[in-house]
Amino acid sequence: MRQKRSEIYSVELSGTEDIVRTDQGDDKEKYRGLKNNCLERKKKNHEEEFQKELQLDDHKLSNTELEKKYGTNIITGLSSTRAAELLARDGPNSLTPPKQTPEIVKFLKQMVGGFSILLWVGAFLCWIAYGIQYSSDKSASLNNVYLGSVLVLVVILTGVFAYYQEAKSTNIMSSFNKMIPQQALVIRDSEKKTIPAEQLVVGDIVEVKGGDQIPADIRVLSSQGCRVDNSSLTGESEPQPRSSEFTHENPLETKNICFYSTTCLEGTVTGMVINTGDRTIIGHIASLASGVGNEKTPIAIEIEHFVHIVAGVAVSIGILFFIIAVSLKYRVLDSVIFLIGIIVANVPEGLLGTVTVTLSLTAKRMAKKNCLVKNLEAVETLGSTSIICSDKTGTLTQNRMTVAHLWFDNQIFVADTSEDHSNQVFDQSSSTWASLSKIITLCNRAEFKPGQENVPIMKKAVIGDASETALLKFSEVILGDVMEIRKRNRKVVEIPFNSTNKFQLSIHETDDPHDKRFLLVMKGAPERILQKCSTIMINGEEHPLDKSTAKTFHTAYMELGGLGERVLGFCHLYLPADEFPETYSFDIDTMNFPTSNLCFVGLLSMIDPPRSTVPDAVTKCRSAGIKVIMVTGDHPITAKAIAKSVGIISANSETVEDIAHRLNIPVEQVNQRDAKAAVVTGMELKDMSSEQLDEILANYQEIVFARTSPQQKLIIVEGCQRQDAVVAVTGDGVNDSPALKKADIGIAMGIAGSDAAKNAADMVLLDDNFASIVTGVEEGRLIFDNLKKTIAYTLTKNIAELCPFLIYIIAGLPLPIGTITILFIDLGTDIIPSIALAYEKAESDIMNRKPRHKKKDRLVNKQLAVYSYLHIGLMQALGAFLVYFTVYAQEGFLPHTLINLRVEWENDNVNDLEDHYGQEWTRYQREYLEWTGYTAFFVGILVQQIADLIIRKTRRNSIFQQGLFRNKVIWVGIASQIIIGLILSYGLGSVTALSFTMLRAQYWFVAVPHAILIWVYDEVRKLFIRLYPGSWWDKNMYY
Amino acid sequence: MAALQEKKTCSQRMEEFQRYCWNPDTGQMLGRTLSRWVWISLYYVAFYVVMTGLFALCLYVLMQTVDPYTPDYQDQLRSPGVTLRPDVYGEKGLEIVYNVSDNRTWADLTHTLHTFYSPAAQEDSINCTSDQYFFQERFLAPNHTKFSCKFTADMLQNCSGLVDPDFGFEEGKPCFIIKMNRIVKFLPSNGSAPRVDCAFLDQPHELGQPLQVVYYPPNGTFSLHYFPYYGKKAQPHYSNPLVAAKLLNVPRNTQVAIVCKVMAEHVTFDNPHDPYEGKVEFKLKIVK
Repeated sequence: MRQKRSEIYSVELSGTEDIVRTDQGDDKEKYRGLKNNCLERKKKNHEEEFQKELQLDDHKLSNTELEKKYGTNIITGLSSTRAAELLARDGPNSLTPPKQTPEIVKFLKQMVGGFSILLWVGAFLCWIAYGIQYSSDKSASLNNVYLGSVLVLVVILTGVFAYYQEAKSTNIMSSFNKMIPQQALVIRDSEKKTIPAEQLVVGDIVEVKGGDQIPADIRVLSSQGCRVDNSSLTGESEPQPRSSEFTHENPLETKNICFYSTTCLEGTVTGMVINTGDRTIIGHIASLASGVGNEKTPIAIEIEHFVHIVAGVAVSIGILFFIIAVSLKYRVLDSVIFLIGIIVANVPEGLLGTVTVTLSLTAKRMAKKNCLVKNLEAVETLGSTSIICSDKTGTLTQNRMTVAHLWFDNQIFVADTSEDHSNQVFDQSSSTWASLSKIITLCNRAEFKPGQENVPIMKKAVIGDASETALLKFSEVILGDVMEIRKRNRKVVEIPFNSTNKFQLSIHETDDPHDKRFLLVMKGAPERILQKCSTIMINGEEHPLDKSTAKTFHTAYMELGGLGERVLGFCHLYLPADEFPETYSFDIDTMNFPTSNLCFVGLLSMIDPPRSTVPDAVTKCRSAGIKVIMVTGDHPITAKAIAKSVGIISANSETVEDIAHRLNIPVEQVNQRDAKAAVVTGMELKDMSSEQLDEILANYQEIVFARTSPQQKLIIVEGCQRQDAVVAVTGDGVNDSPALKKADIGIAMGIAGSDAAKNAADMVLLDDNFASIVTGVEEGRLIFDNLKKTIAYTLTKNIAELCPFLIYIIAGLPLPIGTITILFIDLGTDIIPSIALAYEKAESDIMNRKPRHKKKDRLVNKQLAVYSYLHIGLMQALGAFLVYFTVYAQEGFLPHTLINLRVEWENDNVNDLEDHYGQEWTRYQREYLEWTGYTAFFVGILVQQIADLIIRKTRRNSIFQQGLFRNKVIWVGIASQIIIGLILSYGLGSVTALSFTMLRAQYWFVAVPHAILIWVYDEVRKLFIRLYPGSWWDKNMYY
Repeated sequence: MAALQEKKTCSQRMEEFQRYCWNPDTGQMLGRTLSRWVWISLYYVAFYVVMTGLFALCLYVLMQTVDPYTPDYQDQLRSPGVTLRPDVYGEKGLEIVYNVSDNRTWADLTHTLHTFYSPAAQEDSINCTSDQYFFQERFLAPNHTKFSCKFTADMLQNCSGLVDPDFGFEEGKPCFIIKMNRIVKFLPSNGSAPRVDCAFLDQPHELGQPLQVVYYPPNGTFSLHYFPYYGKKAQPHYSNPLVAAKLLNVPRNTQVAIVCKVMAEHVTFDNPHDPYEGKVEFKLKIVK
């Protein structure tokens, strides 16, 4: 198994590696190195295999060769019949969903998981016992058969219930997964047709326009200004141009291939489908991601641990008493029946169902707070999270470029970057601003999509790239209707931005009817713009650009750049009217207009600003002992700037580089221990051994990983897990899915996330907001605490149910409580109260304590078991025995007469058994009394379970600090307990099969003093825990 | 990944367990040092002593509240059970099978009856003749008790074993003893003595005639002066009244079901759950 795992894994890595080369270009070698580093045991042959699969040479072929290869025609497309044939051969063009466990297997798993095995054993023992009885005595009573059947029924019911819960939560997710079917425009039979993208086959000629998803892997045949967003594939958000030229040997880097599921941002492209469905690049990654195994969730481990404890106790007590019973000369058959009783008494039948309900209640609560939980157990995992590896873009930031700073008049102004931009406070009176704003408005090709009049400006959809969109929205907010301004300043000619020019230029008529001059506006990379300028505008007046002004420009540029912001320079020139009359015809090819000696107006910097709720959330995480690590593909400077602004790197901590810079010494001389924060780039990471990575993860509190590739994200997650941390990973791209799967809890983004990411994740953030994770953590921690309480509550009565059997065997009393009655407690009266504990509020600020250590802080620890079993459980047993003895005594059997009465008592042939008063009892009269005893014992446990429920509300605080009535559900639980008890005793008291009888009202109160004693004892326990933290008492009594 | 999934080997587990049992570095046994063990044990001893004490106190209080002479509740003993001697049980209830000619098959039965009769000392009991209830409000008998009426074997005459030590088993006309269970302060009827009535459960078709029974004491009555019963403490020498039924015409070689009911106003025999309430059924087969 291990072998196989690592194979899949290595294939996966080399797979993504290839993809990453697309954006990393020349750094091919560095990623090789990384791969060698991270996977020493990697399998060369597998890598080659995958390489072979990617031996795509379609990008090298000419159009005619392609036509030949795929038997198609670029003009007329495939014929419908041929397409149908290919569809039949290759299957639909969609990703095979990850392999699901068959429903029946899931169902059977529920049937045999947990305690079910024990109950099955019990049931079979019952039947075997009956079989033996029957073989010797044909008239053997059917009681054992009934009991066995009841046990099986219990197993099946709880199994069905758990299965139903599971299915329900899966359904939420699958409904969420359902998307509107994608359409594709395809040429077939020389006609353009719109067909569902699923029906595409290789050789189809498709047309994709800006805003559409690429429906399959396609080879570009022709394109007009097409740019695609490969971020879901590579994590890089920079749009990439696409054209029909073959530019690179590597299919993943060449410009003439577009990949399935990426988005065409602008322009149009016509291409031939070369791969569909699972054979696409995305298909490869998706199928490989499913190869990364799921770790067991912490709560699953805890529950398993708990089941082991309880089952261990049950089996060992059972066997111990089996031996005792046999050596006490009981018949083996009777001893087997005792064994069953002990098992039934020990197993909290209802508990696993309760846990499921509790988790799904919390899941519902979290869904309301925008955390959609796919996997119920993930609810708690989030609570035990100790490291969050967070993406930057979209999660911590708003995922849109926003104008953050402006520089004009030798001054830096701060723009409002909050989500609604409403509060722009910088000085807008300067006439330099008037000029600058004009350039911003005019030198911009972005436009709002029509039909959004009522949408707030910041939410309007825009056609154009990220920075132009930012500028458009910025100017729209400040100046009003930008379209109107552009209309007044008619555009005469423009040169769009391109990477060789690094500027964008346009020439406009002015809106002043008396001014016949043309206005040339230009924006671009600041240094390029500065080169083209000879003057600079300060306070509305042009000044010559001398060395000192150039220096102030550079200082400002460096400062803004140092903030990790993208800086743009703006300049303009009014073309003299005599040289450029109104009729002048501008020609962009010959550039018959000046592009130098312009007037520099200002700088403007943009950033993807952090979400306003994030800094607060990060602080909360920090106080909750959770390390937040930023892992991003972005530049270190930008990453660090965002990390600082959201508090991932706190204001007063420095990196090694910062210290070196401050002290003006080389980086090597800085004491590593002085630095609290670290910014590690992918370049550095690839040279590190896993020990070095461990060291970084262990030594630095504040870490930012920048320029990382997706598989490095996986390495970081593994590094964190080596520290015994429970790691949460956020991600949205396809490339994140292995890391999401690898993480203890993968969190996908609901809005920005790709389907592959959502599939791999355990949880989906519907609002893509980091702050939602924090609420999730809070809920997760609360549920862990509350589950502890629930389990403590449930375990307690096990002793009260078990003792009767032990006493029955040893002292020979008439059986105090029947197996069926026990089931009525476990699955009847105790269910609602134990669920009610899930609604308990936190005792103290749970976000101020460290996350639990997943190996040390167990759900069920020794203290919990000991305190529940040996303290409260024992007190309960005594209380219940008191009720039992009272009932028997008042009917004539005083306690001492009961001892060793068992054999005669249960003998059907003794119909004149004498009691303390000399009265004689028939078998049936005794049996009826025995049932009354069951009912009494039942009521005794029930009454004390009410006290138990109340004391379990808190583990440390006094009940009075917590508030007795704050959790109303508890009272519903208590009421349900009493009502069910009343119904069983008085409603069903006449149904003999259930062995309940109508109990006199006063017996309900016999155990009340014991219940009060339990409460008092527990208050004393909590008092000492609060008074002497860390003491012997605290260590032994706090669970 | 590797670190998390590593399975411990068996020897590692054993080593860990050994270390748990005795850790030489910290001097811990089973996770606690010796002094810690003493402390925790002392706590538990104290805790359990207190708990046991409290429980004992509760039981003591319970015993104090319980009436020594009469049980607090008798709702489950509304009607007395009836039992039969000799009592040999088969798969379903009483089943008596014996061979007239083989005395080994009924020796046990007669032995049961003999031992059943060997009465406790009845010196302190008085002879009663009245056929009224023998109510006693006060404790007039010696040692602060109440008087009990004497019931001796000879009152059963032919079925007493004194006249016929074989209780009629040899001649195929066996005696059966019917006993009514004691219930404190129970009054079976409103003045007439309760009477035993035995009959075939299902009238055997081939015989066509009812069961002929001779009852001892005559009429098969329990004399009223044995009632009410005041409990073991008040009447330590109480002896149960009995009725013997000598069955005269039991067919040979067939199993017959016979029911003996106690006829009295306050004795019911129609409880579907309790086959021994107010009546006793038994199967009898006399082989010849």
